[in-house]
Amino acid sequence: MKVPMQWLKQYTDVPVSAQAFQDAMINHGTGVEGLEDQNEAVQNVVVGKILSVRKHENSDHMVICSIDVGEAEPLQIVTGAPNVHEGDLVPVAKVGAVLPNGVKIKKGKLRGVDSYGMCCSGPELNVPEYLYPSVGDKGLLIFHEDYAPGTDVRSILGVDDTIVDFEILANRPDCLSVWGVAREAAATLGTTFNKPEIKVETVPGKMSDFVSIEVRDTDLCPRYCARVVKNIKIGPSPMWMRKALNAAGVRAINNIVDITNYVMLETGHPMHAFDLAKVKEQHVIVRRAFEGEKIVTLDGKERDLTTDMLMIADQTNATGIAGVMGGEESEITEETTTVMFEIAAFDRSNIRLTTRALGMRTEASGRFERGVCAATCREAADRACQLVNLLGCGEVIDDVFDCYPNPKPQTVVTASVARINRRIGMEIPGETMAKILTSLHMDVTLDGDRLTVVAPEYREDIEVEEDLSEEVLRIYGYEHIQSTLLRGETAPGTRNAHMLLSDKVSRILVGMGLYEIRNFSFISPKLIDKLNLAEDDPRRTMLRLTNPLGEDTSVMRSTLVPSMLGTVSLNQSRNNDAAMLYEIAPVFDMTGYKQGELPHERPTLCIGAYGPDVDFYLVRDIVLDVLARFGVECDVVPGAEPYHHPGRAAKLMAGGKCLASVAEVHPQVMAAFDITKRTVIAEVNLELLGEMRTPMGHVRALPKFPAVTRDIALVMDEATTVGSVLASIRKAGGALLESAEMFDIYRGAQLGEGKKSVAFSLAFRNAERTLSDDDVNPLMKKILASCEENNGAVLRL
Amino acid sequence: MDMQEQLRKIQEDAQAQLAQVSDKLGLDALKVKLMGKKGDLTLLRRSMGQLAAEDRPKAGQMINEVVAALTEQMDALDARLKKLEQERKLAREAIDVTEPRRHRAIGMQHPISLVQDQMLGVFTSMGFDVVEGPEVEYDLYNFELMNIPKNHPARDAQDTFYIEDNVVLRTHTSPVQARTMLTRKPPIRIVCPGRVYRADEVDATHSPVFHQMEGLVVGEDVTMADLKGTLDAFAQKLFGDDMTTRFRPSFFPFTEPSAEVDLTCVGCHGKGCRICKGTGWIEVLGAGMVNPKVLEMCGIDSKKYSGFAFGVGLERIAMLRYGITDMRALFEGDVRFLSQFRDD
Repeated sequence: MKVPMQWLKQYTDVPVSAQAFQDAMINHGTGVEGLEDQNEAVQNVVVGKILSVRKHENSDHMVICSIDVGEAEPLQIVTGAPNVHEGDLVPVAKVGAVLPNGVKIKKGKLRGVDSYGMCCSGPELNVPEYLYPSVGDKGLLIFHEDYAPGTDVRSILGVDDTIVDFEILANRPDCLSVWGVAREAAATLGTTFNKPEIKVETVPGKMSDFVSIEVRDTDLCPRYCARVVKNIKIGPSPMWMRKALNAAGVRAINNIVDITNYVMLETGHPMHAFDLAKVKEQHVIVRRAFEGEKIVTLDGKERDLTTDMLMIADQTNATGIAGVMGGEESEITEETTTVMFEIAAFDRSNIRLTTRALGMRTEASGRFERGVCAATCREAADRACQLVNLLGCGEVIDDVFDCYPNPKPQTVVTASVARINRRIGMEIPGETMAKILTSLHMDVTLDGDRLTVVAPEYREDIEVEEDLSEEVLRIYGYEHIQSTLLRGETAPGTRNAHMLLSDKVSRILVGMGLYEIRNFSFISPKLIDKLNLAEDDPRRTMLRLTNPLGEDTSVMRSTLVPSMLGTVSLNQSRNNDAAMLYEIAPVFDMTGYKQGELPHERPTLCIGAYGPDVDFYLVRDIVLDVLARFGVECDVVPGAEPYHHPGRAAKLMAGGKCLASVAEVHPQVMAAFDITKRTVIAEVNLELLGEMRTPMGHVRALPKFPAVTRDIALVMDEATTVGSVLASIRKAGGALLESAEMFDIYRGAQLGEGKKSVAFSLAFRNAERTLSDDDVNPLMKKILASCEENNGAVLRL
Repeated sequence: MDMQEQLRKIQEDAQAQLAQVSDKLGLDALKVKLMGKKGDLTLLRRSMGQLAAEDRPKAGQMINEVVAALTEQMDALDARLKKLEQERKLAREAIDVTEPRRHRAIGMQHPISLVQDQMLGVFTSMGFDVVEGPEVEYDLYNFELMNIPKNHPARDAQDTFYIEDNVVLRTHTSPVQARTMLTRKPPIRIVCPGRVYRADEVDATHSPVFHQMEGLVVGEDVTMADLKGTLDAFAQKLFGDDMTTRFRPSFFPFTEPSAEVDLTCVGCHGKGCRICKGTGWIEVLGAGMVNPKVLEMCGIDSKKYSGFAFGVGLERIAMLRYGITDMRALFEGDVRFLSQFRDD
């Protein structure tokens, strides 16, 4: 909300600098987005009277002028403008002047002749034509009024104001107006808000002689107020009004339209002016749109209407969308002679729905959405008529149409001084509170601890005691809020189970050299296609946003893999030769999803790694270590996801459930993601890990008796997994087999094609006594037999 | 030659040879030559039988003295040689300790996690429990219970991603507050960290996915001064003892009174700099006393209990703390960026 200070100062004193004013407003509840001083754009440009003009000897288009700028001596200025005439008044930028394009004027020499300034054209002063029409003329700007030489041109052109751009909070639509801001300024600065006395001079007449108005849907239009002005003389509005509008960021058009905009900015009430001659049969109906009704709006678009939208209509057609956009037919033109001002209040939710549905927003609809006070409509209508009187541009009919069937009763709030103080943690006396609330135009009765407050109608945000506490506090000053520590019974705070688990996972991974990444939770559905998933893979079903920013961020990811591969790809494309990354985030699992309910969010860990030291085994062991730290021992079972290298992929199983997968990425998938270096990817179901984790038990005492160790080498088919042989060994070894580890794999010609020799080191121990060969030999026999039988692995001789 | 003469000669020869010995091999050979089975001194001692009985003790003593003296010298030499040998070995084993690193460096958490972790540390120490909730959330918890009814203009401030009419991507972690109030009885002290979503296009200071931490305290006689005290303590623990907060009036549908909270600028500590545009303050938080409507909707007696709530964006804190100028770097995952962080 741009508020020109000169406009504001008509209604309240601002006895401080613009900067101090801005700070005070911010500290007491009205934010400021910016401060613009129009005076900075044009400096040191004054009215000059051309005393004489002579030809420049070295130029056929330039002339040398002697110009009176109100100083002792006239200035000599060389100009190339075509319209230089003795006796004219022109804007002169003196030496040291600043122009809106940033140019600073210096003493110059043009073809050998000294020039002490510059005569300006309209465009050089960057003043809009609607503000000062002569700026549109060709050549130098000529002032047609009589000004004393030396007069600052800024006041003549209407660009000498300071404008504060206020940021009005959502609960204060009443402040989207000069009056509203003036009221706040007065309360903030301790000055008075001087509201103008509103009196309208009228001529007798009946509304019904000019227009018949019918408000059919008062639920969506709580108040509809109209006044008629006849014998209109359309023309430009006076300079003071054009200047105020321009400073507030609104174009001046003509006196009637300018009055509607001026009143909107001053009172906060959007208003609309109808040319009654062009309203069909002079009949205005406020009604819901009919089924299937259409309207062509001012922007030339045909729009489909629904029956919950409110229309301004004549007897046959909708001519405007209430509170959003008026109709083209009844627009004010040069020929307009009779006008109806409409000042109404519309249901804000309804306006919001309508603008959303039609995708159109206007200054008026924005205001109606935030809330326009029904109670003050009449006052705004009268203010418009008062301005008609002031501008002398028409005759106001004394009759008024005002449909306001259910006036909103005034809100009475009772409050306790002590409770307010308890809420804000202060000791503000009741009298001070009463004074503050009174300065905000509330009717206040203080009776001991009890405050009874009647808020002004436009303060629809004041409903309960807590609202008053904010009013008191902000005017009293937030800077007085003390700083106290929380009291009362409390226990130490704790992190929730998921946070503790993911923190621990993070600590382990970070120690192992991994870096955490955070990716967006939504992805492109195309990424899922790159994973080679089967048509019926549940991960292909993803939760879709109805209004995504774009297709690339339109579905909630069902797996972290695509985003991880994207990040790996980015790192490879930037020539980072290694990266070990992890992300912990929920995946959105749609299995069993019911519409209208929430999807299952499953916390998941994803690792992506590549680099000279990175291979499948490294990542597998990292994952196994993570799981082991939660007391979960897993079996590694070969098995691949469709995006895995089929021969380099494993599932990590525990208790019959798949807790994790680790694999090299399938070359085809690598290609799809522009990944060139072999990359290992792992996924861990952290939800399952949380369920399966076991607390650490007691430690084992160290053994008192020595172990017997035996090393064996077994020859087996290449396809036989070491894990399966180890499983056989462990099973056959029974309780006495303390450990079985693989320590070497050998492949060679003498073993034969497709064979490998795997060496294991076995340790046997009895906690109670030293073992002898007699104890161990039968076990070794059993182990070898089992390996041969189950795995086709035979002792290498 | 008499024995004494022989002994003197052996000793002289031995000492001359000892001086020549340069390694263990030579020393061992000399030892054998002197004291081995057929060593000079061994033979000399054996020849003592030829001496008169009364001369033998004296001769034996003389031999013993020579043996002792030579042994001492040889032991000393042996020690010297051993030491020398070890020094040579160590010299041979010297490595170039300035070779580039061979083992993987330790990794690091994401800066958002680092900031979140520090903040959780501060708040849990003040008795706040950490609570998390779903990211895809009912409109009811995200908006309605936060006093943002349907078609309320406040919804414009939080451009929302919708799944359906009544399901959204949460625009703040406030729904976790609602869920907690509905299930726990006061006193409540919680912080709710997490991902939140708003329909903002990606640029240097905006991201449609970002992180928040909200706090909620509900109890008897909880005041705005307690809110300030809590946020002051938070600022000091996170950024240093000279930090303080400044409250400015604001509006949020879920709090009354509401405040924008500025923090002493972390760049200049209040003196004024580029980061704070010379004001000495940076806007980091929104806060306020919980609106009684919110308490009542969440089943808490607003006559008996009051509370405060605050919310802070973690990206903003991380960017200030680490001097990050483009938010996109946080979501890109370039390992050269990630490897610059430390958890101090």
